[in-house]
Amino acid sequence: MVHLNVNKVRKDFPMLATATPQGKSLAYLDNAASTQKPRAVLEAIEGLYTGYYSNVGRGSYWPATRASQAFEYARERLAGFIHAASAKEVVFTAGATDGINKVMQSFLRPKLQPGDNVVISEQEHHANLIPWQQACRAVGAELRVVRLLSTGDLDQEHYDSLLDDRTALVALTAVSNTLGVVNPVKEMVTAAHQHGIRVLIDAAQHVGHSPTDVQAWDADFVVFSGHKMYGPTGIGVLYGKAELLRETPPMAFGGGAIRDVGFQETLFADIPHKHEPGTPNLEGAVGLAAAIEYLQGLGMRQIHEHTEHLTQYAVMRIEGQEGASILGNPKLRAPVVSFTVEGAHPHDIAGFLAEEGIAIRAGHHCTQPLMDQLGVPGTARVSFGMYNVKEEIDLLMDVLKEVHAFFA
Amino acid sequence: MNERIKGLYKTQILAHSKNPFQEGELEGATHVLQAYNSMCGDKYTLYLKIENDRVEDAYFKGYGCAISKASSSILTKKSIGKSMEELDALVRLFLKIVSAKEEVSPEDLTDEEELLAFSAAREFPEREICATMSWKVVQEELLKE
Repeated sequence: MVHLNVNKVRKDFPMLATATPQGKSLAYLDNAASTQKPRAVLEAIEGLYTGYYSNVGRGSYWPATRASQAFEYARERLAGFIHAASAKEVVFTAGATDGINKVMQSFLRPKLQPGDNVVISEQEHHANLIPWQQACRAVGAELRVVRLLSTGDLDQEHYDSLLDDRTALVALTAVSNTLGVVNPVKEMVTAAHQHGIRVLIDAAQHVGHSPTDVQAWDADFVVFSGHKMYGPTGIGVLYGKAELLRETPPMAFGGGAIRDVGFQETLFADIPHKHEPGTPNLEGAVGLAAAIEYLQGLGMRQIHEHTEHLTQYAVMRIEGQEGASILGNPKLRAPVVSFTVEGAHPHDIAGFLAEEGIAIRAGHHCTQPLMDQLGVPGTARVSFGMYNVKEEIDLLMDVLKEVHAFFA
Repeated sequence: MNERIKGLYKTQILAHSKNPFQEGELEGATHVLQAYNSMCGDKYTLYLKIENDRVEDAYFKGYGCAISKASSSILTKKSIGKSMEELDALVRLFLKIVSAKEEVSPEDLTDEEELLAFSAAREFPEREICATMSWKVVQEELLKE
Protein backbone atom coordinates (compact mmCIF):
# COMPACT_ATOMS: atom_id res chain seq x y z
CA MET A 1 0.00 0.00 0.00
CA VAL A 2 1.26 3.49 -0.86
CA HIS A 3 1.57 5.60 2.30
CA LEU A 4 0.10 9.03 2.76
CA ASN A 5 2.42 11.82 1.61
CA VAL A 6 1.73 14.04 4.60
CA ASN A 7 4.08 16.84 3.56
CA LYS A 8 2.18 17.18 0.32
CA VAL A 9 -1.14 16.99 2.19
CA ARG A 10 -0.09 19.80 4.55
CA LYS A 11 0.41 22.16 1.62
CA ASP A 12 -3.23 21.67 0.66
CA PHE A 13 -4.46 23.23 3.94
CA PRO A 14 -4.01 27.03 4.06
CA MET A 15 -4.80 27.16 7.82
CA LEU A 16 -1.72 25.07 8.60
CA ALA A 17 0.47 27.92 7.37
CA THR A 18 -0.97 30.36 9.92
CA ALA A 19 0.68 31.46 13.15
CA THR A 20 -0.50 32.69 16.54
CA PRO A 21 -0.26 36.40 17.45
CA GLN A 22 3.02 35.44 19.18
CA GLY A 23 4.34 34.02 15.91
CA LYS A 24 4.09 30.31 16.73
CA SER A 25 3.10 27.98 13.89
CA LEU A 26 -0.25 26.32 14.35
CA ALA A 27 -0.11 22.69 15.51
CA TYR A 28 -3.75 21.78 15.22
CA LEU A 29 -4.51 18.79 17.46
CA ASP A 30 -8.24 19.33 17.97
CA ASN A 31 -9.58 17.41 14.99
CA ALA A 32 -12.30 15.66 16.96
CA ALA A 33 -13.87 19.10 17.47
CA SER A 34 -13.51 20.13 13.84
CA THR A 35 -11.10 19.71 10.96
CA GLN A 36 -9.34 22.22 8.74
CA LYS A 37 -10.35 22.56 5.10
CA PRO A 38 -8.27 21.67 2.05
CA ARG A 39 -8.01 24.20 -0.75
CA ALA A 40 -10.11 21.87 -2.95
CA VAL A 41 -13.13 22.53 -0.72
CA LEU A 42 -12.65 26.30 -0.80
CA GLU A 43 -12.20 26.25 -4.58
CA ALA A 44 -15.34 24.17 -5.06
CA ILE A 45 -17.37 26.70 -3.08
CA GLU A 46 -15.89 29.62 -4.96
CA GLY A 47 -16.51 27.74 -8.22
CA LEU A 48 -20.19 27.45 -7.32
CA TYR A 49 -20.66 31.13 -6.51
CA THR A 50 -18.64 32.38 -9.45
CA GLY A 51 -19.60 29.79 -12.07
CA TYR A 52 -23.07 28.30 -11.78
CA TYR A 53 -24.97 29.57 -8.73
CA SER A 54 -28.76 29.59 -8.52
CA ASN A 55 -31.43 27.95 -6.38
CA VAL A 56 -31.75 24.16 -6.50
CA GLY A 57 -34.58 22.01 -7.85
CA ARG A 58 -36.71 24.92 -9.04
CA GLY A 59 -35.67 26.81 -12.16
CA SER A 60 -35.41 25.21 -15.58
CA TYR A 61 -32.94 27.81 -16.87
CA TRP A 62 -29.19 27.79 -16.92
CA PRO A 63 -27.58 27.93 -14.31
CA ALA A 64 -30.43 26.43 -12.22
CA THR A 65 -30.10 23.09 -13.98
CA ARG A 66 -26.37 23.03 -13.35
CA ALA A 67 -26.80 23.93 -9.65
CA SER A 68 -29.42 21.21 -9.21
CA GLN A 69 -27.09 18.69 -10.85
CA ALA A 70 -24.27 19.68 -8.51
CA PHE A 71 -26.53 19.17 -5.48
CA GLU A 72 -27.64 15.71 -6.58
CA TYR A 73 -24.09 14.82 -7.61
CA ALA A 74 -22.97 15.63 -4.06
CA ARG A 75 -25.66 13.29 -2.74
CA GLU A 76 -24.38 10.50 -4.98
CA ARG A 77 -20.79 11.05 -3.86
CA LEU A 78 -21.94 10.87 -0.25
CA ALA A 79 -23.88 7.68 -0.89
CA GLY A 80 -20.85 6.09 -2.50
CA PHE A 81 -18.57 7.25 0.29
CA ILE A 82 -20.61 5.57 3.03
CA HIS A 83 -21.67 2.63 0.82
CA ALA A 84 -25.39 3.39 0.93
CA ALA A 85 -27.53 1.23 -1.36
CA SER A 86 -28.98 4.32 -3.03
CA ALA A 87 -28.52 8.10 -3.09
CA LYS A 88 -32.20 8.32 -2.04
CA GLU A 89 -31.06 7.20 1.39
CA VAL A 90 -28.93 10.32 1.89
CA VAL A 91 -30.78 13.26 3.45
CA PHE A 92 -28.85 16.51 3.83
CA THR A 93 -29.04 18.09 7.28
CA ALA A 94 -27.27 20.89 9.12
CA GLY A 95 -25.05 18.35 10.89
CA ALA A 96 -25.09 15.30 13.16
CA THR A 97 -27.04 17.09 15.90
CA ASP A 98 -29.71 18.14 13.43
CA GLY A 99 -29.98 14.57 12.08
CA ILE A 100 -30.42 13.09 15.55
CA ASN A 101 -33.08 15.65 16.46
CA LYS A 102 -34.96 14.91 13.25
CA VAL A 103 -34.99 11.16 13.88
CA MET A 104 -36.09 11.81 17.45
CA GLN A 105 -38.95 14.13 16.42
CA SER A 106 -40.25 12.34 13.34
CA PHE A 107 -39.33 8.68 13.74
CA LEU A 108 -39.27 8.08 17.50
CA ARG A 109 -41.72 10.52 19.09
CA PRO A 110 -44.86 9.48 17.18
CA LYS A 111 -44.48 5.87 18.30
CA LEU A 112 -42.84 6.26 21.73
CA GLN A 113 -45.22 5.11 24.51
CA PRO A 114 -45.05 5.37 28.30
CA GLY A 115 -43.09 2.36 29.57
CA ASP A 116 -41.00 2.07 26.39
CA ASN A 117 -37.26 2.56 26.60
CA VAL A 118 -34.43 4.00 24.51
CA VAL A 119 -30.91 2.59 24.87
CA ILE A 120 -27.83 4.80 24.64
CA SER A 121 -24.33 4.47 26.18
CA GLU A 122 -22.20 6.29 28.73
CA GLN A 123 -19.94 7.39 25.88
CA GLU A 124 -22.54 9.55 24.16
CA HIS A 125 -21.89 13.15 23.24
CA HIS A 126 -24.58 15.49 24.57
CA ALA A 127 -25.96 15.55 21.01
CA ASN A 128 -26.79 11.84 21.18
CA LEU A 129 -28.04 12.03 24.76
CA ILE A 130 -30.22 15.09 25.31
CA PRO A 131 -32.67 14.53 22.39
CA TRP A 132 -33.45 11.00 23.64
CA GLN A 133 -33.51 12.10 27.27
CA GLN A 134 -36.02 14.84 26.50
CA ALA A 135 -38.19 12.52 24.39
CA CYS A 136 -38.25 9.95 27.20
CA ARG A 137 -39.07 12.58 29.82
CA ALA A 138 -41.90 13.99 27.71
CA VAL A 139 -43.54 10.60 27.20
CA GLY A 140 -42.72 8.77 30.41
CA ALA A 141 -40.32 6.37 28.75
CA GLU A 142 -37.05 5.15 30.23
CA LEU A 143 -33.57 6.11 29.05
CA ARG A 144 -31.26 3.14 29.53
CA VAL A 145 -27.51 3.69 29.51
CA VAL A 146 -24.93 1.03 28.60
CA ARG A 147 -22.08 1.00 31.11
CA LEU A 148 -18.38 1.27 30.37
CA LEU A 149 -15.77 -1.29 31.33
CA SER A 150 -12.63 0.06 32.99
CA THR A 151 -10.94 0.09 29.56
CA GLY A 152 -13.57 2.50 28.26
CA ASP A 153 -15.06 -0.20 26.03
CA LEU A 154 -18.82 -0.70 26.29
CA ASP A 155 -19.95 -3.56 28.52
CA GLN A 156 -21.54 -5.82 25.90
CA GLU A 157 -23.22 -8.08 28.46
CA HIS A 158 -24.83 -5.06 30.05
CA TYR A 159 -25.92 -3.86 26.60
CA ASP A 160 -27.57 -7.21 25.81
CA SER A 161 -29.36 -7.13 29.17
CA LEU A 162 -30.89 -3.70 28.41
CA LEU A 163 -32.55 -4.72 25.14
CA ASP A 164 -36.13 -5.96 25.38
CA ASP A 165 -39.44 -5.86 23.55
CA ARG A 166 -40.17 -2.35 24.87
CA THR A 167 -36.95 -0.88 23.44
CA ALA A 168 -38.07 1.69 20.87
CA LEU A 169 -34.62 2.59 19.58
CA VAL A 170 -30.91 2.11 20.20
CA ALA A 171 -28.74 5.21 19.64
CA LEU A 172 -24.99 4.66 19.83
CA THR A 173 -21.84 6.44 18.89
CA ALA A 174 -19.44 4.59 16.59
CA VAL A 175 -16.47 6.28 18.29
CA SER A 176 -16.25 7.98 21.69
CA ASN A 177 -15.25 11.60 21.08
CA THR A 178 -13.75 11.74 24.58
CA LEU A 179 -11.99 8.39 25.04
CA GLY A 180 -11.37 7.43 21.43
CA VAL A 181 -13.01 4.02 21.87
CA VAL A 182 -14.11 2.40 18.60
CA ASN A 183 -17.29 0.44 19.26
CA PRO A 184 -18.22 -2.90 17.62
CA VAL A 185 -21.06 -1.29 15.67
CA LYS A 186 -21.95 -4.27 13.47
CA GLU A 187 -22.25 -6.65 16.43
CA MET A 188 -24.29 -4.16 18.45
CA VAL A 189 -26.65 -3.52 15.54
CA THR A 190 -27.10 -7.27 15.04
CA ALA A 191 -27.94 -7.74 18.72
CA ALA A 192 -30.61 -5.03 18.53
CA HIS A 193 -32.04 -6.38 15.29
CA GLN A 194 -32.54 -9.79 16.93
CA HIS A 195 -35.15 -8.01 19.06
CA GLY A 196 -36.50 -6.11 16.05
CA ILE A 197 -35.07 -2.84 17.42
CA ARG A 198 -33.95 -0.06 15.07
CA VAL A 199 -30.51 1.48 15.57
CA LEU A 200 -29.16 4.98 14.98
CA ILE A 201 -25.38 5.35 14.76
CA ASP A 202 -23.65 8.65 15.49
CA ALA A 203 -20.73 8.39 13.06
CA ALA A 204 -19.48 11.97 13.47
CA GLN A 205 -16.10 10.77 14.76
CA HIS A 206 -15.87 7.88 12.29
CA VAL A 207 -16.48 9.00 8.72
CA GLY A 208 -13.47 11.28 8.35
CA HIS A 209 -10.97 8.77 9.74
CA SER A 210 -11.91 5.26 8.66
CA PRO A 211 -13.70 3.64 5.73
CA THR A 212 -17.43 3.63 6.56
CA ASP A 213 -19.88 1.05 5.23
CA VAL A 214 -23.43 1.62 6.48
CA GLN A 215 -24.66 -1.56 4.80
CA ALA A 216 -21.98 -3.68 6.45
CA TRP A 217 -23.04 -2.13 9.78
CA ASP A 218 -26.66 -2.76 8.77
CA ALA A 219 -27.49 0.43 10.71
CA ASP A 220 -30.98 1.86 10.25
CA PHE A 221 -29.96 5.50 10.63
CA VAL A 222 -26.48 7.02 10.52
CA VAL A 223 -25.68 10.68 11.15
CA PHE A 224 -22.52 12.72 10.69
CA SER A 225 -21.26 16.26 10.13
CA GLY A 226 -19.35 17.69 7.19
CA HIS A 227 -17.06 19.91 9.25
CA LYS A 228 -15.48 16.95 11.07
CA MET A 229 -14.46 15.36 7.73
CA TYR A 230 -12.62 18.32 6.20
CA GLY A 231 -15.82 19.77 4.70
CA PRO A 232 -17.72 22.99 5.48
CA THR A 233 -19.69 23.78 8.62
CA GLY A 234 -23.49 23.73 8.53
CA ILE A 235 -23.85 20.61 6.40
CA GLY A 236 -24.31 17.02 7.47
CA VAL A 237 -25.98 13.81 6.47
CA LEU A 238 -28.75 11.66 7.80
CA TYR A 239 -28.53 8.25 6.19
CA GLY A 240 -31.64 6.12 6.59
CA LYS A 241 -32.72 2.84 5.06
CA ALA A 242 -35.12 3.68 2.24
CA GLU A 243 -38.15 1.97 3.78
CA LEU A 244 -37.62 3.84 7.06
CA LEU A 245 -37.21 7.21 5.39
CA ARG A 246 -40.41 6.48 3.44
CA GLU A 247 -42.46 5.52 6.49
CA THR A 248 -41.15 8.48 8.52
CA PRO A 249 -43.32 11.61 8.18
CA PRO A 250 -41.53 14.67 6.73
CA MET A 251 -38.90 15.87 9.20
CA ALA A 252 -39.84 19.47 8.44
CA PHE A 253 -42.41 21.13 6.18
CA GLY A 254 -42.12 23.62 3.36
CA GLY A 255 -41.45 24.18 -0.31
CA GLY A 256 -39.53 21.88 -2.61
CA ALA A 257 -40.51 18.75 -0.68
CA ILE A 258 -43.91 18.25 -2.23
CA ARG A 259 -45.64 16.69 -5.20
CA ASP A 260 -49.04 18.38 -4.92
CA VAL A 261 -50.34 21.02 -2.51
CA GLY A 262 -53.88 22.16 -1.73
CA PHE A 263 -55.09 24.40 1.08
CA GLN A 264 -56.29 21.40 3.08
CA GLU A 265 -53.79 18.70 2.20
CA THR A 266 -50.40 18.00 0.67
CA LEU A 267 -48.94 15.07 -1.23
CA PHE A 268 -45.28 14.91 -0.33
CA ALA A 269 -42.37 14.19 -2.65
CA ASP A 270 -40.51 10.89 -2.57
CA ILE A 271 -37.38 10.46 -0.46
CA PRO A 272 -34.99 12.07 0.08
CA HIS A 273 -36.60 15.36 -0.97
CA LYS A 274 -39.64 15.01 1.26
CA HIS A 275 -37.29 15.47 4.24
CA GLU A 276 -35.50 18.51 2.77
CA PRO A 277 -37.97 21.42 2.55
CA GLY A 278 -36.69 24.91 1.80
CA THR A 279 -33.66 26.05 -0.14
CA PRO A 280 -30.93 23.59 0.73
CA ASN A 281 -27.35 24.26 1.78
CA LEU A 282 -25.94 23.96 -1.73
CA GLU A 283 -22.63 25.53 -0.76
CA GLY A 284 -22.27 22.97 2.03
CA ALA A 285 -23.15 20.05 -0.23
CA VAL A 286 -20.76 21.15 -2.97
CA GLY A 287 -17.98 21.71 -0.42
CA LEU A 288 -18.62 18.37 1.24
CA ALA A 289 -18.55 16.56 -2.11
CA ALA A 290 -15.17 18.19 -2.79
CA ALA A 291 -13.92 17.04 0.62
CA ILE A 292 -14.97 13.48 -0.16
CA GLU A 293 -13.25 13.55 -3.53
CA TYR A 294 -10.14 14.82 -1.79
CA LEU A 295 -10.32 12.06 0.84
CA GLN A 296 -10.94 9.38 -1.75
CA GLY A 297 -8.07 10.70 -3.85
CA LEU A 298 -5.72 10.13 -0.93
CA GLY A 299 -7.42 6.91 0.16
CA MET A 300 -9.32 6.39 3.40
CA ARG A 301 -7.14 3.39 4.26
CA GLN A 302 -4.00 5.50 3.87
CA ILE A 303 -5.49 8.26 6.02
CA HIS A 304 -6.53 5.72 8.65
CA GLU A 305 -3.06 4.17 8.69
CA HIS A 306 -1.39 7.55 9.10
CA THR A 307 -3.52 8.73 12.01
CA GLU A 308 -3.31 5.31 13.64
CA HIS A 309 0.50 5.51 13.69
CA LEU A 310 0.35 9.01 15.13
CA THR A 311 -2.08 7.85 17.80
CA GLN A 312 0.10 4.90 18.81
CA TYR A 313 3.08 7.21 19.05
CA ALA A 314 1.15 9.75 21.13
CA VAL A 315 -0.13 7.05 23.50
CA MET A 316 3.40 5.76 23.98
CA ARG A 317 4.83 9.23 24.63
CA ILE A 318 2.07 10.35 27.01
CA GLU A 319 2.28 7.09 28.95
CA GLY A 320 6.02 7.72 29.31
CA GLN A 321 5.52 11.23 30.76
CA GLU A 322 5.79 11.42 34.53
CA GLY A 323 2.53 12.56 36.09
CA ALA A 324 0.46 12.05 32.93
CA SER A 325 -2.33 9.47 32.72
CA ILE A 326 -4.42 8.44 29.73
CA LEU A 327 -8.12 7.79 30.30
CA GLY A 328 -9.26 4.48 28.84
CA ASN A 329 -7.35 1.66 27.23
CA PRO A 330 -9.74 0.39 24.57
CA LYS A 331 -9.29 -2.58 22.27
CA LEU A 332 -9.54 -0.30 19.26
CA ARG A 333 -8.68 3.39 19.42
CA ALA A 334 -9.63 6.19 17.04
CA PRO A 335 -7.18 9.12 16.74
CA VAL A 336 -8.37 10.57 20.06
CA VAL A 337 -6.44 10.51 23.35
CA SER A 338 -7.74 12.04 26.60
CA PHE A 339 -5.32 12.54 29.44
CA THR A 340 -4.66 14.38 32.69
CA VAL A 341 -1.44 15.75 34.15
CA GLU A 342 -0.99 15.55 37.90
CA GLY A 343 -1.38 18.93 39.59
CA ALA A 344 -2.44 20.74 36.41
CA HIS A 345 -6.05 21.47 35.53
CA PRO A 346 -6.86 20.67 31.86
CA HIS A 347 -7.34 24.37 31.07
CA ASP A 348 -3.96 25.24 32.48
CA ILE A 349 -2.47 22.52 30.27
CA ALA A 350 -4.33 23.88 27.25
CA GLY A 351 -3.19 27.41 28.10
CA PHE A 352 0.47 26.41 28.14
CA LEU A 353 0.08 24.50 24.88
CA ALA A 354 -1.77 27.38 23.21
CA GLU A 355 1.17 29.61 24.00
CA GLU A 356 3.32 27.36 21.79
CA GLY A 357 0.70 27.29 19.01
CA ILE A 358 -0.62 23.84 19.94
CA ALA A 359 -4.40 23.66 19.80
CA ILE A 360 -6.00 21.00 21.98
CA ARG A 361 -9.34 20.68 23.73
CA ALA A 362 -9.71 20.90 27.49
CA GLY A 363 -12.87 20.34 29.46
CA HIS A 364 -15.76 17.92 29.44
CA HIS A 365 -15.93 17.51 25.63
CA CYS A 366 -19.75 17.73 25.70
CA THR A 367 -19.78 14.49 27.71
CA GLN A 368 -20.49 15.68 31.26
CA PRO A 369 -22.17 12.47 32.48
CA LEU A 370 -19.16 10.49 31.22
CA MET A 371 -16.80 12.79 33.14
CA ASP A 372 -18.89 12.14 36.26
CA GLN A 373 -18.57 8.38 35.68
CA LEU A 374 -14.80 8.69 35.24
CA GLY A 375 -14.59 10.84 38.37
CA VAL A 376 -12.76 13.73 36.70
CA PRO A 377 -14.02 17.27 36.09
CA GLY A 378 -12.45 17.32 32.66
CA THR A 379 -9.53 16.11 30.59
CA ALA A 380 -7.06 17.42 28.07
CA ARG A 381 -7.68 15.82 24.69
CA VAL A 382 -5.55 15.55 21.58
CA SER A 383 -7.10 14.29 18.35
CA PHE A 384 -5.32 13.82 15.06
CA GLY A 385 -6.16 14.48 11.45
CA MET A 386 -4.52 13.44 8.22
CA TYR A 387 -2.19 16.47 8.20
CA ASN A 388 -0.65 15.97 11.63
CA VAL A 389 2.96 14.88 12.02
CA LYS A 390 5.12 13.25 14.67
CA GLU A 391 7.02 16.50 15.27
CA GLU A 392 3.81 18.07 16.57
CA ILE A 393 3.53 15.30 19.15
CA ASP A 394 7.16 15.84 20.14
CA LEU A 395 6.42 19.54 20.64
CA LEU A 396 3.33 18.61 22.66
CA MET A 397 5.44 16.41 24.91
CA ASP A 398 8.09 19.12 25.44
CA VAL A 399 5.38 21.43 26.76
CA LEU A 400 3.67 18.71 28.83
CA LYS A 401 6.97 18.01 30.53
CA GLU A 402 7.24 21.68 31.38
CA VAL A 403 3.61 21.81 32.56
CA HIS A 404 4.25 18.91 34.90
CA ALA A 405 7.38 20.56 36.31
CA PHE A 406 5.60 23.90 36.74
CA PHE A 407 2.46 22.66 38.48
CA ALA A 408 3.78 19.61 40.35
CA MET B 1 10.06 28.73 26.58
CA ASN B 2 6.66 29.72 27.84
CA GLU B 3 7.88 32.70 29.87
CA ARG B 4 4.88 34.79 28.82
CA ILE B 5 2.36 32.18 29.98
CA LYS B 6 4.32 31.56 33.16
CA GLY B 7 3.90 35.28 33.86
CA LEU B 8 0.16 34.67 34.05
CA TYR B 9 0.69 32.30 36.95
CA LYS B 10 2.18 34.65 39.50
CA THR B 11 3.45 33.18 42.76
CA GLN B 12 0.31 34.29 44.58
CA ILE B 13 -1.92 32.59 42.02
CA LEU B 14 -0.07 29.29 42.17
CA ALA B 15 -0.03 29.42 45.96
CA HIS B 16 -3.78 30.14 46.15
CA SER B 17 -4.64 27.46 43.59
CA LYS B 18 -2.63 24.77 45.37
CA ASN B 19 -3.64 25.76 48.90
CA PRO B 20 -6.76 27.86 48.59
CA PHE B 21 -8.13 29.91 51.46
CA GLN B 22 -11.79 29.56 52.35
CA GLU B 23 -12.34 26.34 50.39
CA GLY B 24 -15.36 24.36 51.51
CA GLU B 25 -19.03 24.76 52.29
CA LEU B 26 -20.36 27.27 54.79
CA GLU B 27 -23.11 26.25 57.12
CA GLY B 28 -25.50 29.06 57.80
CA ALA B 29 -24.70 30.85 54.54
CA THR B 30 -27.31 33.48 53.73
CA HIS B 31 -26.37 33.56 50.04
CA VAL B 32 -25.31 30.63 47.82
CA LEU B 33 -24.22 31.58 44.30
CA GLN B 34 -23.24 29.44 41.31
CA ALA B 35 -20.41 30.53 39.03
CA TYR B 36 -20.25 28.54 35.81
CA ASN B 37 -18.19 28.83 32.65
CA SER B 38 -20.15 26.94 30.01
CA MET B 39 -17.24 27.00 27.56
CA CYS B 40 -14.95 24.89 29.70
CA GLY B 41 -17.22 23.49 32.42
CA ASP B 42 -15.50 25.17 35.36
CA LYS B 43 -17.92 25.47 38.24
CA TYR B 44 -17.83 27.02 41.71
CA THR B 45 -20.38 27.43 44.44
CA LEU B 46 -19.87 30.54 46.57
CA TYR B 47 -21.22 30.64 50.12
CA LEU B 48 -21.62 33.98 51.84
CA LYS B 49 -22.96 34.82 55.24
CA ILE B 50 -24.15 38.41 55.15
CA GLU B 51 -25.48 40.01 58.29
CA ASN B 52 -26.21 43.69 58.99
CA ASP B 53 -25.02 44.59 55.49
CA ARG B 54 -21.61 43.06 56.12
CA VAL B 55 -19.94 39.85 54.89
CA GLU B 56 -19.38 37.86 58.07
CA ASP B 57 -17.92 34.81 56.35
CA ALA B 58 -17.34 33.45 52.83
CA TYR B 59 -16.32 30.12 51.35
CA PHE B 60 -16.15 28.55 47.91
CA LYS B 61 -16.23 25.02 46.58
CA GLY B 62 -15.88 23.56 43.10
CA TYR B 63 -13.35 22.93 40.38
CA GLY B 64 -11.61 24.82 37.68
CA CYS B 65 -8.21 25.92 36.44
CA ALA B 66 -5.52 27.48 38.62
CA ILE B 67 -6.59 30.99 37.61
CA SER B 68 -10.28 30.55 38.45
CA LYS B 69 -9.53 28.71 41.68
CA ALA B 70 -7.04 31.29 42.90
CA SER B 71 -9.40 34.12 41.99
CA SER B 72 -12.26 32.46 43.91
CA SER B 73 -9.94 31.96 46.85
CA ILE B 74 -8.87 35.60 46.88
CA LEU B 75 -12.44 36.81 46.36
CA THR B 76 -13.76 34.93 49.38
CA LYS B 77 -10.74 35.80 51.52
CA LYS B 78 -10.96 39.51 50.75
CA SER B 79 -14.75 39.69 51.08
CA ILE B 80 -14.79 38.80 54.73
CA GLY B 81 -15.46 41.80 56.93
CA LYS B 82 -16.43 44.06 54.02
CA SER B 83 -19.64 46.05 53.97
CA MET B 84 -21.70 45.63 50.82
CA GLU B 85 -20.50 49.01 49.65
CA GLU B 86 -16.88 48.02 50.21
CA LEU B 87 -17.45 44.68 48.49
CA ASP B 88 -18.94 46.48 45.50
CA ALA B 89 -15.86 48.70 45.27
CA LEU B 90 -13.55 45.69 45.57
CA VAL B 91 -15.31 43.81 42.77
CA ARG B 92 -15.24 46.87 40.51
CA LEU B 93 -11.54 47.33 41.22
CA PHE B 94 -10.72 43.69 40.48
CA LEU B 95 -12.64 43.70 37.21
CA LYS B 96 -10.68 46.79 36.13
CA ILE B 97 -7.37 45.15 37.02
CA VAL B 98 -7.98 42.19 34.70
CA SER B 99 -9.81 43.99 31.88
CA ALA B 100 -7.83 44.44 28.66
CA LYS B 101 -10.12 47.41 27.90
CA GLU B 102 -9.11 49.33 31.05
CA GLU B 103 -6.73 52.15 30.25
CA VAL B 104 -5.41 52.85 33.76
CA SER B 105 -2.46 50.60 34.58
CA PRO B 106 -3.07 47.98 37.29
CA GLU B 107 -0.36 49.48 39.48
CA ASP B 108 -2.13 52.84 39.41
CA LEU B 109 -5.36 51.14 40.49
CA THR B 110 -4.06 49.36 43.57
CA ASP B 111 -0.95 48.24 45.39
CA GLU B 112 -2.51 45.05 46.77
CA GLU B 113 -0.28 42.26 45.52
CA GLU B 114 -2.89 39.54 45.61
CA LEU B 115 -5.08 41.56 43.27
CA LEU B 116 -2.23 42.74 41.06
CA ALA B 117 -1.20 39.11 40.56
CA PHE B 118 -4.12 38.80 38.14
CA SER B 119 -3.17 41.79 35.99
CA ALA B 120 -1.40 39.53 33.47
CA ALA B 121 -4.87 38.38 32.46
CA ARG B 122 -4.97 41.60 30.42
CA GLU B 123 -2.55 39.94 28.01
CA PHE B 124 -4.59 36.73 27.85
CA PRO B 125 -8.11 37.90 26.98
CA GLU B 126 -9.18 34.26 26.55
CA ARG B 127 -8.39 33.73 30.24
CA GLU B 128 -10.15 36.84 31.55
CA ILE B 129 -13.26 34.76 32.15
CA CYS B 130 -11.25 32.38 34.37
CA ALA B 131 -10.17 35.31 36.54
CA THR B 132 -13.60 36.93 36.69
CA MET B 133 -16.22 34.17 36.71
CA SER B 134 -16.72 34.15 40.50
CA TRP B 135 -16.40 37.93 40.84
CA LYS B 136 -18.98 38.54 38.13
CA VAL B 137 -21.58 36.31 39.70
CA VAL B 138 -21.16 38.25 42.96
CA GLN B 139 -21.60 41.49 41.05
CA GLU B 140 -24.59 40.28 39.05
CA GLU B 141 -26.49 38.46 41.76
CA LEU B 142 -25.48 40.18 44.97
CA LEU B 143 -24.62 43.74 44.07
CA LYS B 144 -27.00 44.40 41.20
CA GLU B 145 -29.26 46.78 43.14
